[in-house]
Order: sequence, then structure tokens, then C-alpha cells
Amino acid sequence: MKMLLTAAAASLMLAGVATAEPSGTFRQAHELGFGAQSSLDPISKGRVFQITEKIMNRLVRPGLDGKPQADLATSWDANEDATVWTFELRDGVTFHDGSTFEAADVVYSLNRVLDPDSDSPARSAVKMITSVEALDDMTVQISLNTPFADMPLQLMDYRLRMLNEGSGDDIATSGNGTGPFMVESFDAEGTTVLVANPDYWEGAPGVARMEVIGIADGQARLQALLGGQIDMERGITAQQQVMLTSSNKFDVQVIPTGNWRGLVFRTDVEPFSDPRVRKAVRMVADRDELVKLVLGGQGVVACDAPVEPNDQYRADIACPQDIEGAKALLAEAGYADGIDVDVHVSTLESTWPTLAVAYQEQAAAAGIRVNVVQMPTDGYWSEVWMKKDVAATRWNERPADQALHEIYLSTARWNESYFKDESFDAMLASARRELDFDSRNAIYQSAQEYLWENGGTLIPYTVTKLIGVSSRVNNLDAVKNDAVRWHMITVD
Amino acid sequence: MLRMLLRRMALGAITVAIVSIIIFSGVELLPGDACTAFLEREAKGKLLENCREAQGLNRGPFERYFDWAASAIRGDFGVSANGQKSIAELVGNRLKNSLLLASSSLALGVPLAILLGVITGLWRDRPIDLTLSTIAIFAMTIPEFVSATVLILLFSVWLGWLPGIVLTPAHAPAVEFFPEIILPVIVLTMVMTAHILRMVRSSVIEVMAGDYVQMATLKGVPYWRIVFRHALPNALLPAINVVALTVAWLLGGVVVIEVVFNYPGLGRMIIDSISDRDLPVVQAIALIVATVYVGVNLSADLLTMFANPRLRTLYMRQK
Repeated sequence: MKMLLTAAAASLMLAGVATAEPSGTFRQAHELGFGAQSSLDPISKGRVFQITEKIMNRLVRPGLDGKPQADLATSWDANEDATVWTFELRDGVTFHDGSTFEAADVVYSLNRVLDPDSDSPARSAVKMITSVEALDDMTVQISLNTPFADMPLQLMDYRLRMLNEGSGDDIATSGNGTGPFMVESFDAEGTTVLVANPDYWEGAPGVARMEVIGIADGQARLQALLGGQIDMERGITAQQQVMLTSSNKFDVQVIPTGNWRGLVFRTDVEPFSDPRVRKAVRMVADRDELVKLVLGGQGVVACDAPVEPNDQYRADIACPQDIEGAKALLAEAGYADGIDVDVHVSTLESTWPTLAVAYQEQAAAAGIRVNVVQMPTDGYWSEVWMKKDVAATRWNERPADQALHEIYLSTARWNESYFKDESFDAMLASARRELDFDSRNAIYQSAQEYLWENGGTLIPYTVTKLIGVSSRVNNLDAVKNDAVRWHMITVD
Repeated sequence: MLRMLLRRMALGAITVAIVSIIIFSGVELLPGDACTAFLEREAKGKLLENCREAQGLNRGPFERYFDWAASAIRGDFGVSANGQKSIAELVGNRLKNSLLLASSSLALGVPLAILLGVITGLWRDRPIDLTLSTIAIFAMTIPEFVSATVLILLFSVWLGWLPGIVLTPAHAPAVEFFPEIILPVIVLTMVMTAHILRMVRSSVIEVMAGDYVQMATLKGVPYWRIVFRHALPNALLPAINVVALTVAWLLGGVVVIEVVFNYPGLGRMIIDSISDRDLPVVQAIALIVATVYVGVNLSADLLTMFANPRLRTLYMRQK
């Protein structure tokens, strides 16, 4: 370990001191989730984020600690009630096509996301914006329809990339951004080639070339990593981790994320319309056991709150398995003989069936008779999720405020549990208005506790991501890919 | 003779048309459409409307089928879902790659299978036959994905001699697939050789026990002359049909092999396009595969007919 640290320190120093020319090729795969509809437009559903994250910048990005850090905006300020935000922009940044980055580009990029006609999936992240104005070439003012103390957090969204004014029509194939790498050729189903941007504002990248290769099959991606055809695979399993760590040709990064899997009980149908039943079906879960059984230990226990372990607003809730408590709640609600539940899963997410079967076993002790129903992968989101009374779900992490607003607010677009609760809505609204961090923190925490008492979604854990990396790769930040500084890495 | 050929071709065309209708209805019956498949949980409101508008999914299934059929007859297969590339070009590249994989495997597998089949047939029940036949049974029964994974592990991960999976893009010229294509070709050859070998072996055994071979032996014709002049031409006839089926199988997309090796052929494309509900692509591939099956079977029948004097005269007499 000590040696490893010294080596890492030495290579960091090298990177700091030497102004070496970019050299070598870094290769990774993407899972080709969108086939022919794959796109370089960061706000299209088909965006290949493994590419956009390397060719475009945001106004604000997550630092290595996850907190907002300057990207294309150098500083920001809010008015007294946090309804109007002013961002100072970075000077001397150019797009890959040579044009200069300025305020008009920010106005254009954000308005493009907000356009109700194109209805981008990214829109719900910044729906509170009412107008974006350029005060001068290097200053942008963003007005909101609500006080919102954490606006910079929202602008860290991985889709909110800055584009050149008017480039929307061909951005899907051109990928013209300000990032450390430039698109040489885009071929989602084959190999997309990126080359180093020598004029990148943070300094020239360490590698000369990046290849992002579309490989749909997970097993094939692993074979490619093992055979040295790609250098990194984000999202390997716990079993594969054992195999990789036993070889000196690979390193494995272990990164806790806020991505979660769970079971949704619709709160608008019997018997889950009774909050006591909802709590009972969640109390029976032995979450430590589920992390071991389903994830091979690579997860962090969650108590039905959709907030990642490292989020500043994460509530510290204890949720041990409580069979007696669940039985009592069920009896109180009039189900002394227990209930029958059909849990719908599919192999769309490989861990769902295991989760459902493990839960079945645990719930049986409290008289909750779970019947696991396997549904086809095809059409799961359109035919099963939000249609069946109980179904498996999964979400990628987002800031606490966004997760609570997008999934649990009465009017939320993706209110998968049909959770409609006025006092909860009021809590979220007051949190946004609260400018004092501690008071705001207290409200977000009580919102999460409220969900633990009343919610319809069982979130047993957040998933820890395992990243297999070839040992020829240096300086790859051991953080979520959203925060990785891609220009830093080098290859031997 | 000519009439027979024309009749078979007309029947073939009808078969292909029926296949296209069945495939279209099949994909229509699956839950969801191209837009819900693409947008997943975001398939709502304006976004869904925009997508359906852009892909022309607002029209009824009949209208869409006939529109497609009318353009397909003119040779226009439409453009891909993102509107960027023509489907004819996309599918064409994949077809070329499938042809490359198929022809490499055939070039290696067919002569090998016939050679081994003849050897095992002539030396029936001897050690060489027992060894080869046992190996063949293993090669036939081990699923392709198992032998593929084992080969990758051996040659790519442990020995590091060959690349494990194919990373060459679909549109690359054929030569660039070397050496990545070696492992998939070996796996296909294993399966294919085993099947043909067993067919040839039993046919050689049967022919060698035939009356005319006995007669020739009694007349004192040298053994190798009997084998090459009298036995083999007859013994190899049944093999033509097995080879034809193998060709169709290879071109129809060896889906498992293509997925395991990430090979950009028709098989992987058909899987992807079905899960994307990308009907124009599914249809184009179905047409190709159906045409290949019909065409290959027709040629196999013709070949058998020309190679077999009895069948030849039978058809000639009927005109």
C-alpha cells in the first residue's frame, strides 16, 4: 500500500511538473443503451455520457468531495432570498471549432434545456428557472420562480453542458464543446475516437487519444478488459472484483454512489393506501442481509430515503428489521392474517430477481406472503413500472432536493409510488426557501424521516460501484465518473 | 426444367412476402413501440409525442406496412431511427460482415469435415474413428457460448495470443477483422465440422456397404479407385443439403457467437433492432435472412439434382 501511495505521489508530481505532450490511447466501453438513437446531444435521451463528459463542460461541476466547484463559471452569488443568481464566467475559453465561450452561449444552452416543446428529460432538473439573461459578455443572471439556496448543486447535473450558441441542430453528431477532448469521429455502435484538445483551459490532457467503444454485452466488456482491449470498465460485479484484484494487471476502485434499487408499493391502491401497511412491508426488510445477499457486500444500507451516503443532507435514520412491529402494524390496519403481495421484477436490472426473492424470505416471517412475478425485460418501463401495484425500480443518484422533488412530490413527473401528501410537499417548498444551511439541513432530514414513516418505496441500499482499471492507467480519480478529471489521466 | 425453376422462385418470393408480414405483425404485437423502448421511463407527454411524430409512428399499422412494402420493392429501405444513415447501408455492412464470418468458417470447416468424415467412415470402429467421433460429439454438444468463453479465456486472457472480442467497427474493410475474427471462426468451425462430419461418416459407411462397391471389389478394382471413383461421389451427395443448411444458419445470424464476441454481423443487429422496436431494420434483416434460406435451399436442390443422374433424368422427362 505504501509503495502504491509513493508511486501515486510520484506520478502526480510528474503530471504537475512536466509539460509533457499528450501521449497514448485510453480505451473504454459504453453499453450502447440507445442503439441507432445514440447521440452527442447532452440533453437528448440518447446521450452517450461516456463521451459528452469528456468533450463538454458545465457551469458548475462536482469537486472530488462532491461539493460544487467552479467549471465554466468562476464564481456565483445569490440575491437575499435566493431567487436571482449571478454567475461570472471563465475568460478565454474556446470551443473546439474555435469560437469563444461567452454569456450568450450559456443563455442558449439553458434555454434549450428549458424549451417546453423539446421537453428534454433534463428539463425537470432546472424547471425552477424562469429566465436566463446575459448581463454582459462574461456575466449571466438566472431568475427562479422560487427561492432556491442550492441552485449551484442543480447546475452540476451531468446533462447541463454548455454548447456554442446556435449549434443545437448538429450537436448530436458534431459534439462541439469546450472539454479536454474533441470528437474526431463519432460511431456509437463502433468506436468513437476523441483526440486531445491542446487548448483546453485547464491544460493539455495527459493522453493523446481516447476511444469509446460500443459493446452491448456485459460479459463481452469484461472479456475485453481482461484481454487488454479496453483499459477501464465501470460497474463490475463483486465476484469479478475478486478475480481482478488477484491479478497484478488490474486495480479495482471502490466507489460508494447514490444509485439505488428498490421495490415500489403504490400508495394509491389497497392495502398500501394505509400508511401502516406501507411501513410494515418496509420494516420487515433486513437491509444488512440484503446488501450481503444481493450485492455481495458492495452497498450501503439506506432507510427508504433516496439520498446518497455522502450527501450533505443525508438523514441518519436507523431501520433494523422489526418483524414484531410489522405484525402489530398489519393487525392494527386490519390485516392480522397477513397480506398477499405480487412483486413484479425483470432481468432488466440483474439484481432485481435476487432482491425480490431475498425479500420474499424476510417478509414471510411477518405474514407477508410475497409472490415474485417475472416480467419481460422488453417494455418493463411502459407496461409494468407505475402500472402494477408492486414493482422493482432503480434510480441513478441525484442531489437530495432533486431526488425528493422528482420522485416524491405530489406533482412529480416520476412519482412512481403515487405519493400525494400535502405536508410533505410543504416541507420541500420550505427547504428551498430556507437560506440558513443548518435549518435547511434540518428540513431535508425531516423530509427523509417522513418518508421512512409514510413512504411507499422500499430502498434497502445504495449501490457501491466497482471500477476495473488496467494498471497501465495512471491518475484516474477514484470518484464517480461525473467528477473525474479526464484530462489528468495518463497511460503507460 | 425451366418451369420447375420458375415455379420454385415464385414460391420463394411468396414465402419471403409472408415472412415479412409475420415479422411485422410479431413486432407490432410486442408491448410498446420504438419510442417507448428508446425513452424508457421518460416516455411521457410532449417528449413521446415528438418522438412518435419524428418516426412516423402516428399512423396505423396497415398504412405503415404498405408504405414500407412499397418502398422496399423499389429498393428503398428507409433511414435508421436517428435519421442519420440509410438502412440499406447499415444492413449492407452487417451482411458483408456476416458473409465474411460465414465464408471463413465454411472455407475452413467444410473441407475439414469432409476429410475427417471420410477418414472416420473408411476406418469405422478403429481407434482413429473412435477418437474423432468422440471429439465431434463433444464439439456438437458443448453450447457455443461455453466453448467461446473457454477459448477466450485460454487464448486471450491467459496466453494473450489473440484478441478476445471484436472491436473493429461494422463498416471497416474485411481485412481489418483479422486477427479478431480467428476465435469466432474457430468456434463456428467446431460446431459445424462436427455436424457435417457425422453426416459424411454415416453416408460413407452406407455407400461402402452398397452392392456396386461389393461388385467392384469382387471384380478386383483397386481399393482407392473404388473409394474415389465410385463411393465418394455418391457419399457426398447428402452432404450438400447439410452444407446448405449450415450456410443458411451462418448467414441467418449466429446470434450467440456474435454477441459473445461482439461481432458486428446480422445476428447482433437483429437482436438490437428487436429490442429497440426498430421495425424497418427488423424487416430488412428478415427479408435478407428469408431470401437466403429460400435461395440456399433452392440451389442445394438444384445441385443435388445435377449430381444425381436418377433425379436428373426424372425431372428431364417431366420437362
